[in-house]
Amino acid sequence: MRPRNVGAPIKRTEDPRLLTGRGEYSADRKPDRPLHIAFLRSGQPHARIARIDTAAAQTSPGVVAVFTAECITGDFKPVIPFSRMPNYYATPIVPLATGKVRYVGEAVAAIIATSRYLAEDALELIEVDYEPLGALARAELAVAGDAALLHEEAGTNVLIAREFKKGDVAADLKAAAVRVGGRFEMTRKAPLAMEPRSYTAEYDKRRDAITLYTSSNIPGIVRDAISESLDLPGHRLRVVAPDVGGSFGSKGSLYPEELLICIAARKLGRSLKWTADRLEDVSSSSQAFAEIVDAEMGFDANGVATSLQADVIGDVGAYSIYPWTCGLEPVQVVSFLPGPYKIASYRGAVRGVATCKPPTGPYRGVGRPISTFVAERLMDLGGKALGLDPLEIRRRNLVRAEEFPYRIASGIIWDKTGFVECLDAAAEAAGYEHLRVQQAAARKQGRLFGIGIASYAELTGIGSRIAVAPGMPINTGSETAKINIDSTGGVTAAFGVASHGQGLETTLAQIVADDLGARFEDVRVIQGDSDEVPMSTGTYASRSAVLGGGAAKHASRILQDKIKRVASHLLEANQDDIEVSDGKAAVIGTDRAVTFKQVAKAVYSDMKTLPVEAREELTATYTYDPINGTTAAATHIAVVEVDPATCFVKILKYVVAEDCGRIINPMIVDGQVHGGVAQGIGAALFEELIYDDDGQLLSASLVDYVIPSAPEVPAMDVIHIESESAVAGGFRGMGEGGTIGAPAAIANAIADALSPLGVDVSILPMTPERIFRLMEQARFNARGKADE
Amino acid sequence: MKPAKFEYVAPATVDAAVEALRAANGEGKVLAGGQSLLPLLNFRMTRPAVLVDLNGIKDLSFIELRGDRVAIGALTRHREIEQSPLIGSKLPVMAAAMRYVAHLAIRNRGTIGGSLSHADPAAELPMLSLFYGASLLVQGPSGRRTVAAEDFFVDALTNCLEPEEIVVEIEFPILQHDGWAFEEVARRFGDFALASIAVSVRRRASTIEDVRVAVMGVADTPLRLKEVEAKLRDIAIDNQTPDRFSGLVTSCVSANGDLHASAEYRHHLLGRLARRAMQTALATKG
Repeated sequence: MRPRNVGAPIKRTEDPRLLTGRGEYSADRKPDRPLHIAFLRSGQPHARIARIDTAAAQTSPGVVAVFTAECITGDFKPVIPFSRMPNYYATPIVPLATGKVRYVGEAVAAIIATSRYLAEDALELIEVDYEPLGALARAELAVAGDAALLHEEAGTNVLIAREFKKGDVAADLKAAAVRVGGRFEMTRKAPLAMEPRSYTAEYDKRRDAITLYTSSNIPGIVRDAISESLDLPGHRLRVVAPDVGGSFGSKGSLYPEELLICIAARKLGRSLKWTADRLEDVSSSSQAFAEIVDAEMGFDANGVATSLQADVIGDVGAYSIYPWTCGLEPVQVVSFLPGPYKIASYRGAVRGVATCKPPTGPYRGVGRPISTFVAERLMDLGGKALGLDPLEIRRRNLVRAEEFPYRIASGIIWDKTGFVECLDAAAEAAGYEHLRVQQAAARKQGRLFGIGIASYAELTGIGSRIAVAPGMPINTGSETAKINIDSTGGVTAAFGVASHGQGLETTLAQIVADDLGARFEDVRVIQGDSDEVPMSTGTYASRSAVLGGGAAKHASRILQDKIKRVASHLLEANQDDIEVSDGKAAVIGTDRAVTFKQVAKAVYSDMKTLPVEAREELTATYTYDPINGTTAAATHIAVVEVDPATCFVKILKYVVAEDCGRIINPMIVDGQVHGGVAQGIGAALFEELIYDDDGQLLSASLVDYVIPSAPEVPAMDVIHIESESAVAGGFRGMGEGGTIGAPAAIANAIADALSPLGVDVSILPMTPERIFRLMEQARFNARGKADE
Repeated sequence: MKPAKFEYVAPATVDAAVEALRAANGEGKVLAGGQSLLPLLNFRMTRPAVLVDLNGIKDLSFIELRGDRVAIGALTRHREIEQSPLIGSKLPVMAAAMRYVAHLAIRNRGTIGGSLSHADPAAELPMLSLFYGASLLVQGPSGRRTVAAEDFFVDALTNCLEPEEIVVEIEFPILQHDGWAFEEVARRFGDFALASIAVSVRRRASTIEDVRVAVMGVADTPLRLKEVEAKLRDIAIDNQTPDRFSGLVTSCVSANGDLHASAEYRHHLLGRLARRAMQTALATKG
């Protein structure tokens, strides 16, 4: 039967409450007489804590307790971000700095008071004596032999080192007709969700039980980790992610504050609340990128890329994060660097280096924004050296339809996806040929007009055979759906995935409605609640449509079979002759039908209609594992003009052609692409966390940390190539792609615009200041030439 | 990020407000639109003992024509200035600049008295008060006095007022000009300016009879460039004038650098904006 809901642009069911202020976020919880926490955060980048005096703070008005690391040692076990990776040191995670501080913003003490105001007053009364140990502000310097060690137990500041190798890169590079390379950098970025991190711990005295409401996208992982750390079984620790105002990865790891609030709730027997202010959120939530990549690519005379090598230094910050480890972002750079291209030989080496900054962690796109930036810059440089158009050189190197499944040089296997189809569709939609004509005309007038292309592929909906983060011990390969029809005929579908803006309440209901045969509006979706399914890891890594959707499909079908069996009794028809749709089971080709309500009544309430053995409870649970996962791909084309007077970049046109498989809701897919590209524009042109040599964050407010706002984000064209994947439903994950493609496409467009000046783009964001410096360099070069 | 404890008073008259400030003994702070003060309070960078809220004083919000001047009450919101037909016809440079003042939500709340008192070197109204040669009427315990805008801005975020003085109203002389321009570049629309320039020109036949120029975002205070004005007076207008103007502006301003723009880039930007502004001012009539 043709699906009625999957594929339809249904308006998001969560929007009316979110847009009219009726959402309920963690901070909106109103437990009985809650206490409020304020954290004293280190102003030192790296120092031994010689003494903490909390005596004055303890007696400050409203203060109930003051905790330092010493006060809570017996109340928890440190959480270890374990990994089987060799050359990896797992830094333990503790709620409060112990012995020393390792970045500005690290929590040193917690004041618990009757109001946040009084708590912040008391913060000022805590005295801490620090003995400075020297800031490690830059990864390149922290690897030096004489650098101070951030974690003495590790014996090195290199917390993770890894190398991927295939073929003889050195020989292939030597044999290459053209070699291009450079040193590329993406600076540190904040994920910057609109809702800062926020936790409410509700303490239940009767059972010594805690319900933690957390602005997390991994409530199941948080439940399991805190349960282990506090020795509190899952039936006394419920973790709920209610409405969550964005994450982009920043709420996708366990945080010290989540541990602390639960420890405090138990210790004090009280409910507690904490919401990060913007400064705390920017300076203590996990951050993104911060990598420098020295890379080189070799091409044969026909423009075929034969070889690629890269050395990556990732500035991973002060700690590894749970559960992903500090390897997540930098290792992903080298594992995805060959991208959608058939490059025969490869060497990618990465070092993740500890510095005095907040940890890096998952950020929309993980590793691939920079791997794509580097690979796509190299493609353009290769094309330029060979006199090939950027479109043509990509055509010669992309994996073609008949070549899937294809294992790229780093070992990742791409399943059948429309790589070339996306490239062609984007070029057609952008009017590529005409753009080049326009460019030629603009250049004649001395205008700096550029066109940039970026193609990429990503792994989404990963199953149990592939670890989301290398060597990690937890299973991220499955998700559970639990669907029931209650005695009133109501349909409730519960999941462990945790939407934080993706619209899963809508899309999962679309799937359930189709596969169960319910009316869309009758399906209630519950998610992000650890009490609803036995185990879940949440929403991250573009997995929820594939894993949650797959589980929804399977569970729906099991439940539909139950409905058919009941209906066959009620309608005195063969089970195979019954069709379930629109909340009714009907005998095909007749008007004989029973509603879900009648079916439920027959099963649960009416003792005479059905034989006892036919009264099967109307529930179904299914745990879906796609085993491998599936590929998603896209090509972005950006057209920009650089204003030589202001050094500003204006995006004139933006086109995305993407293959996310079968589309569940095109309106939501478009929204995800728009949002991702907006963040990619931030990475390309605006956003940068600037730390000085003393480890102090200089761009800590939204005045100085500049994100794109509506006028800076252009209208964009999105073209969908719907090639069905092999997983249940034919879906592919698509929440991250916009952020992956946009920085590279814009970088290439700026490089193309500036190419008459003989300068190149190798660092992002390309702020007006950096463009000014490039243009100054061009003026200087031109003067040098004139002097010769 | 919660403010430290303070007393809050909401006087109904300027006299009462001044008295409250005097009673606070230098520990008082005036609250107008709150668009700069509240973040400072929340960061605890400012910790007044007493917050004197002017918002209950009704007669401080007005825009009126007084002969060859326009008077604006200190509590007048940016949005009211932006939308005022009187400002549009009499102070067109100000009218053009108002849309660059932050964002709509901020303009609905922020006040001219607050903006001038805050003295941000990259805010539009302080620069415009210099450009127009405005005079500020301030009230303190010993009565009212008038301060010229050029004496008002002492340093970044520092004005010349005594702790118990309040800006009550500002008078802007109406400029006679044949052409004018306002140019501003900020990272994003609504951000503080990286550089900005206001210029107006009065012509006599094909020579410049008089010119007015002010810049901001480049130094610790906004600047009126009287030296440039003097050098351009009575010169013949030709197609080199914008370049010449740009050269004069950049030669007499040494820009500051910060996180968003180095001194060199700001200097470059100011030169380009100056050229563009003069081109516009010479091309427009009225």
